[in-house]
Amino acid sequence: MTLHVSGLSAARSGRTILHPTSLEIELGARIGLVGASGSGKSTLGHALVDELRTQGRSVAHVPQSPDEALDPLRSMAFHWQEAEKALGLHTGTADQPMLFEALKIAGGDLKKRPWGWSRGMQQRFVIAMALIGSPDLIVLDEPTSALDPVVAAATMDLLDRHLQDRDTAMMLITHDLGLAARRVSTLMVMQDGEIVERASTQDILERPQTSAAQSLSAHRNWMALPC
Amino acid sequence: MIGTVAGLILRAIVVLSGTAIITFALLWNAPGDPAQAIAMARFDALLTEDVIDQVREEVGLNTSFWSAFVDWIAPLLVLDFGYSSVTGRPVGPDLWVAITYTFPLAVMALAIGLAISLPLAIIATKNPGGMLDRLAVATASMGTAIPAFWLGLLLILLFAVQLNWLPAMGARTPVHSILPAMTLGFGIAASLTRIIRSGILEARDQPFLPAIRRRGVPVRAIGRDHIAPHAAVPVVTVVGLELAFLLEGLVVVEVIFGRPGLGTFLTSAIVARDFPHVQAVVVLVALVFVTVNLIIDLIYKRIDPRIGEHDA
Amino acid sequence: MLRLDQVSAKRGNVVALEDISLSLSPGNTLAVVGESGAGKSTLIATILGLLRPSKGTITWNGAEVSTCRPSLVMQEPRSAFNPAHPLLRSVLEPIVGQRATVPTERIERLCTGLELPQQLLNRRPSEVSIGQAQRVGILRALIATPPLVLFDEPLSALDAVTQKHTARLIADLQREEGFAALIVTHDLGYAVAHADEIAVLKSGRIEEVATPESFAVAPKSDYCKTLRDAAIALGALEAVG
Repeated sequence: MTLHVSGLSAARSGRTILHPTSLEIELGARIGLVGASGSGKSTLGHALVDELRTQGRSVAHVPQSPDEALDPLRSMAFHWQEAEKALGLHTGTADQPMLFEALKIAGGDLKKRPWGWSRGMQQRFVIAMALIGSPDLIVLDEPTSALDPVVAAATMDLLDRHLQDRDTAMMLITHDLGLAARRVSTLMVMQDGEIVERASTQDILERPQTSAAQSLSAHRNWMALPC
Repeated sequence: MIGTVAGLILRAIVVLSGTAIITFALLWNAPGDPAQAIAMARFDALLTEDVIDQVREEVGLNTSFWSAFVDWIAPLLVLDFGYSSVTGRPVGPDLWVAITYTFPLAVMALAIGLAISLPLAIIATKNPGGMLDRLAVATASMGTAIPAFWLGLLLILLFAVQLNWLPAMGARTPVHSILPAMTLGFGIAASLTRIIRSGILEARDQPFLPAIRRRGVPVRAIGRDHIAPHAAVPVVTVVGLELAFLLEGLVVVEVIFGRPGLGTFLTSAIVARDFPHVQAVVVLVALVFVTVNLIIDLIYKRIDPRIGEHDA
Repeated sequence: MLRLDQVSAKRGNVVALEDISLSLSPGNTLAVVGESGAGKSTLIATILGLLRPSKGTITWNGAEVSTCRPSLVMQEPRSAFNPAHPLLRSVLEPIVGQRATVPTERIERLCTGLELPQQLLNRRPSEVSIGQAQRVGILRALIATPPLVLFDEPLSALDAVTQKHTARLIADLQREEGFAALIVTHDLGYAVAHADEIAVLKSGRIEEVATPESFAVAPKSDYCKTLRDAAIALGALEAVG
């Protein structure tokens, strides 16, 4: 099974911020969407999720920061039940213990509201919610930028491990090619609202074609360490 | 939680004591001789100094400020409002009668205000800036600008004089409270509509709403579970403030419609310089205010426990 | 040189810094690395004199730090400027009342160093990119030629490419100007690439002070090893071999 979308586009106050774009995403794929800030990555992510949803696919979106995902006036339990209900599941039927275990948030008090949890826990909770019912695709928009590095790295590792043997495809949106390169096998490079290059991670790192990809590749990390 | 409730109650006590002292000081220093006024009201004639002095002593107006204050506050603390300095009858029962006329009217007015403003604001915000929205805002602005005494007379003219549907004056039956409640309710509806409208619009800008929509939560559920609680915070504040407006409006409306409620009770007491009657109303109003504010603070705590907490 | 000698500081009743001893020489870069809540912001506030240490002393060449008029580069470049004013006006704030004329030559020099077209300074903060805004922030911090510049997460609002570019410009300018730079960051990669010395802060205490080389290759404490591995896992540093 493959996910297809075509003709995704977006404009804001008369200016095109996303040129018509078509995508194909294979089952279980690991895709990175990289580009400088303002290149239209998040817009494409939103358009993709909204389009697949209208196609009747189950897709999940994890925004950059938990502040953009959780209502501070509502308890964690409420958010969870709401997500279950939105997927047509009965309350308590999603495998919460398994997901919480996988993301290491089993100890969290669900009666608390989001701000009663640490940001790292909140972010993992949001990811766990996104994984209810094993969606066809999970889109992660800069999932690590609101977190401290240690927590961010652990969260990405836990997510990787959880998705390992599953059909859920993952799209990682980030400005950081260094991060994407460690997590995905295919990359799409965005510039000025357009995908300018699509290739395997290996190719983009070693043989970037466009100036955008070359710049990202050249600046992908601070240093190579002899370990 | 217990700590915050205790803090809120302590604040209420401070407000009440302050009100008591200031009220007493204002009346104590009011121009004119209250003893003379009381005597005149009681005996309805020009009087000699002796009789006035006798009255002065009788109602305790000849002592120092603080001893008079203590004499005054002690019975109030056990809700004993004393005797009318005009009629000599106990204040309590008369006050209670006034309350039984005013309280239902206030509740009705608030209910009418909410019943009009809530749907109006929701309809208006369906399409912000659209025809319906602009119409609602314009109506609300007009409503705030119309004074209660004018609206009251207009309603009497229409429903009592022209159509002869409703009684204009008095308070014998519940039907008598419909016109005054409408007069007050329209004013409340006008200002509440604007607040609820802007509350809803602001709540819609919350950063997490797009994510919840993308989770597949239906629009109606988002409105009920996420926008409503956020919009409720400013609305609760204003409903509390509306109470002030309500008390002010009650005085005017009760006089217009000839209802023997608290407003009438207060105005006639002021005219007659009936010290115990005035203070009973003031104490009652302060009590109501403080209680309402306490309730509002507790509702805040329920909606958003972070409100009022001082953390870095 | 900047010297912190057994400095402790409190935020309210909470001890935010405990027994911090650090030193930084002119021309050198000290990176203070830590997670949120480790005390990085408190450290900056204490050095700037906004928060009085409860114990210990902070000095610049033996005198109070305020005597050297240190400057600060903030994390959120746009909110560091008055949105209603052209950037130039904000840039000149540190020298208001000190000089009669605009130091055109200095601005020109710094603009060249920071790769900023000078006309950009006539725009308002909202009219420039966030990367440009941060470089203007650095320009403002350097205009009065301070011997000590504090950088509070100077790159965290920028994207990966702009981060590296800006970091290189800071380093080049530092070589020319010779100021001492104290950089507070959560990005170990940045610290390893650009600092002369790295101090790791954890829960208000210094966990380890080391050179980037020894840090990257053989961190002494478990916590520092975790930090380094996280930086590798997130692609900030690349493990070779």
